[in-house]
Amino acid sequence: MYVGLSDADLAPRIADGDSEAEAEMCRRMGPRIRLYGLRHLRSSSAADDLVQQVLLKVIEALRAARLRESDKLAHFVLGTCRMVVVELRRSSHRQEALLAKFGGDLIPEASPTPTLDDRQLARCVQTLKERERSVVVMTFYDEHTAAETARSLGISEANVRVIRHRAMAQLRDCLGVTL
Amino acid sequence: MTMDHGGVSCSNPVEAATLMDYWLALLPSTDEDAIEEHLMTCDACGNRLRQVISLSESLRTLARSGSLTVVVSDRFVKHAAETGLRVREYAPARGESIQCTVAADDDMLVARLAVGLTTASRVDLSWCEPRGVEHQRMADIPIDAGAGSVICQQSITWAKASPTMTLTARLLEVNETGEEHLLGEYTFNHTRTIPGPPGWE
Repeated sequence: MYVGLSDADLAPRIADGDSEAEAEMCRRMGPRIRLYGLRHLRSSSAADDLVQQVLLKVIEALRAARLRESDKLAHFVLGTCRMVVVELRRSSHRQEALLAKFGGDLIPEASPTPTLDDRQLARCVQTLKERERSVVVMTFYDEHTAAETARSLGISEANVRVIRHRAMAQLRDCLGVTL
Repeated sequence: MTMDHGGVSCSNPVEAATLMDYWLALLPSTDEDAIEEHLMTCDACGNRLRQVISLSESLRTLARSGSLTVVVSDRFVKHAAETGLRVREYAPARGESIQCTVAADDDMLVARLAVGLTTASRVDLSWCEPRGVEHQRMADIPIDAGAGSVICQQSITWAKASPTMTLTARLLEVNETGEEHLLGEYTFNHTRTIPGPPGWE
């Protein structure tokens, strides 16, 4: 019943105390918040914490009808993500009490994580040209920036980007990964 | 263009290269903000980002495994040692022949080949057997003219399994017409000190 509703339709229902709308909002936003958390916190457990804390704040705001423009729900969630990441970096323990009380209801179903054949990946990486392989290894070993990799290999930063993009396209092709 | 991914579709998909740059934190902040606004409403691109993350994580594991043969930088080797990897390094001078081995607990094996590269535009690294038969050619390797050496990581997996043997590394300058000029030759006399797979003697 709720699957066909837009994000904007969910917000007023949550304000009216509709728990199914609340659950649907969590189901939709949880995986998106988790991706944001993975990108900015670089840890699965920290991303899970972020999901819980953001959903707590969003539900609290929606229940209190504090979101005036319901079509801005995604924007509101993103803003909350940014705020909570700043808070998490300042203190990782501030909301433990809240999470202990409500957290169990706010754990989203994990989105399936794609898996790759590591041996095939190794074979694909060995087929790259030497510069491509060096750039890929140095980029991903410790997520070196283009500037660091460029300095290390004696090539320009722009060249590093071009080489990396070309190598990644070739690797996806070799692995049969469609994006 | 509409793109389907994981049962959901997107009419304005983020380019694959941009998604990778986003994951690697290489985008300007305004571009990053726009991507995040999009990802907060688009599950198709979210699913594609999961593929990017999976590929990135697998590449990071592979890069840290020491199992690839690849030219790397001095900073890369130092960083590996600083992060706790056990790096075995050999640094022969030009024309030198050295004794070498690997131990079971080594994580990374590198050869630091001393060479002057100030005029070279294309350099190949050729690995040869004692009779001169080329075993592997690494064509057009990245070079830093001011570095004074080429650092090649050899596969630690291969080195741990390989029998006692001799390999010669030859750095070759290759000009536009394909002519080769020897920049340096380095001989590695590898002694097996840990048990290898049966049948490879």
